[in-house]
Amino acid sequence: MALVLGKRAVSGMRRSSNANVCAAIENQLMPKVLLIEDDSETAEEITAELAERGFEVEWSADGIQGLDQARSSRPDAMIVDRLLPGMDGLTVIEALRKDQVRTPVLVLSALGAVDDRVRGLRMGGDDYLTKPFAIVELVARLEALLRRPAESRETTLRVGPLELDLIERTAKRGDRVIDLLPREFRLLEYMMQRSDQLLTRAMLLEEVWNYKFVPATNLVDVHMGRLRHKVDGPDDSPMIHNVRGAGFILRTGS
Amino acid sequence: MVPAETYLGWRQARIPGDDHPMRQPQFIRSNTFHWAFMVAGVFAVFVIVLFGFIYWKIDDYLTARSDRVITVELESIASLPPERRLDAIDEKLRQDPRMVQLAAIFAPDGHRIAGNLESLPPQLRIDAPAQAADITRVDRNRRVRQVVRAIARRMENGDILVLGRNVDEAGEISHVVGQALGLGLLPAFLLCLLAGAWLSVRAQKRVEEVNQRVQRIIAGDLSERLPYRTVDEPFSKLAIIVNGMLDEMETMIHALAGVGNDIAHDLRTPLTRARLTLERGRTNASSLEQLQTVADKAITGIDQSLAIITALLRLAEIENGRRSAGFGSVALHEMLREVCDIYEPIAENKNISLQVDVKHQLTVRGDRDLLIEAVANLVDNAIKFTPEGGRVDIELLRGNGETIVRVADTGGGISEPEREAVLRRFYRSDKIRNTPGVGLGLNLVAAIVKLHGFRLAIHAGQGCRVEIICPDRKGEVSEPARLR
Repeated sequence: MALVLGKRAVSGMRRSSNANVCAAIENQLMPKVLLIEDDSETAEEITAELAERGFEVEWSADGIQGLDQARSSRPDAMIVDRLLPGMDGLTVIEALRKDQVRTPVLVLSALGAVDDRVRGLRMGGDDYLTKPFAIVELVARLEALLRRPAESRETTLRVGPLELDLIERTAKRGDRVIDLLPREFRLLEYMMQRSDQLLTRAMLLEEVWNYKFVPATNLVDVHMGRLRHKVDGPDDSPMIHNVRGAGFILRTGS
Repeated sequence: MVPAETYLGWRQARIPGDDHPMRQPQFIRSNTFHWAFMVAGVFAVFVIVLFGFIYWKIDDYLTARSDRVITVELESIASLPPERRLDAIDEKLRQDPRMVQLAAIFAPDGHRIAGNLESLPPQLRIDAPAQAADITRVDRNRRVRQVVRAIARRMENGDILVLGRNVDEAGEISHVVGQALGLGLLPAFLLCLLAGAWLSVRAQKRVEEVNQRVQRIIAGDLSERLPYRTVDEPFSKLAIIVNGMLDEMETMIHALAGVGNDIAHDLRTPLTRARLTLERGRTNASSLEQLQTVADKAITGIDQSLAIITALLRLAEIENGRRSAGFGSVALHEMLREVCDIYEPIAENKNISLQVDVKHQLTVRGDRDLLIEAVANLVDNAIKFTPEGGRVDIELLRGNGETIVRVADTGGGISEPEREAVLRRFYRSDKIRNTPGVGLGLNLVAAIVKLHGFRLAIHAGQGCRVEIICPDRKGEVSEPARLR
């Protein structure tokens, strides 16, 4: 996992994601994010980065105040630190969930242990990010939360020329049949459900491989390399893109 | 002596009613002394009761015997003709130097005819068995009032014959018994108290000694140990147990100190690199591109430090064993196939043949995520240390009531002296130190294996062979089903 804060590395990604975030949130120009984080420097960095990427950010440094704000301003997503003055982050989420507020929440915490993570998710958090984190990781996860694929009964996924039959377990690009191993199929399925979205290695490990730890070897890259080799033939325009130091995107357009 | 509160405070706090701890000497308030005192008291009561019983029995016996004697004598005197009875009485009294015999004949009107009784005792029943009687004895020159055993019979001529015997031996015996009690019991009782006091003082001395040593340990002298004797006594046993614990803790604390140094070293290396890069970059970089390159390098260094911290925290988490709550049934055969599936492309990239050989369907109790992590770590290592063209085999075996997961490779293997060491906590081979990765992988595997109650074995063979040995749990022996 490498942190990439430089604009050069993420500029390509931002172009597409901005458009999509805007499209995903109907009737609103900018998705509204509530950040509850007591460390002002961290909060400032996050706010600046998110604002640059087209989010409207509200910031609260305190749990109780944050909860009030969440109730009054109805954000599209929330980023909540676990340890907060006034009220613990998890308590804030619990209180919101009791009020039937389903706003997606990304929990931030310096407590990285797996048990804490599980607890954070059980208490109503939708995703969990351990401090310190790469800002790209935060943005990628936030966007993933905002654009969670709707429960669909579709048995065929389509992204551009790509077609995935979930019943037959077959894949095609145009007329070309792609022969996939089960793991590759799952990876492609996950990516097609989240096309035009940056998927970080950590996200892929968690969701596709169900790994709760970071393996020593760059597993994801190797598997992705093979998938890309199969999906993007020598004459095709590439669909799977590597965002240097951040992750991968399956792009619709050429 | 250290004031009681400093090291016996807990005891005082637990004894209700002990409100004046400083009024008596310490040893008297000690538990040992109280016990000794109680034992001495019980012993004294027991001895007194025993002596009383013996006294009562002897008295009873002597009374019965003298009753028999006087009855027989009465019979024999009564059988004599009246004129010879007086002689017989005189004769009898003459032969009584200890003056225990009583004999007299009274006329029907109560007038004494002969003998050494002043008068016929009024309460003495005539023609009755021997009984206690309050009489006045007259000898040549004195009168003595006594309580004796006596018997009276009316003769055929109307005279009353009285015979008696002073059973004062009982009194003598009680005197002797009393003396014996005084001479024997009192010293025994005192001895008990002394022994109690001595034991109590001794126990307190040892507590005090232990206290001093413990204070030294608290102050940081980890090599200090509690005193003990080689004899088989509870206090020494306790001291030996505590010493064993202290040994373990000393080793652990030293190990931790070593870990501290390791962490410091491992964190400092990448941080130093990052710092140098940033410093030089700040001075030398002339373009945005160069500055970004510098920043990337610095971030890599910081990430490496973070990865080490994450790995150490994770290790601590597993070693604390907090995860056993998540245990369930884990199908090893499926798990191994999955690991193989994940690592196959990586092995293929390196031209290594990765094979999984699973002959049985075997399940163990454990945390699936952790077990995958352990096996994945072993496979990862095996692939990393096997040169191109080699092979890595994952096997699932049964034998000897044990389920064995084996990862074998054709790499360089682990040298004999290092084989033990790699399992030691935080040991890091210099070879491993310079390869990518945090280098705590095998420690993590060992911790996971230990958490499950399994064993880790490293064998030399062609290359390296690492086994996770899972012994069957008692009462949970599941016969493995053979595949196909």
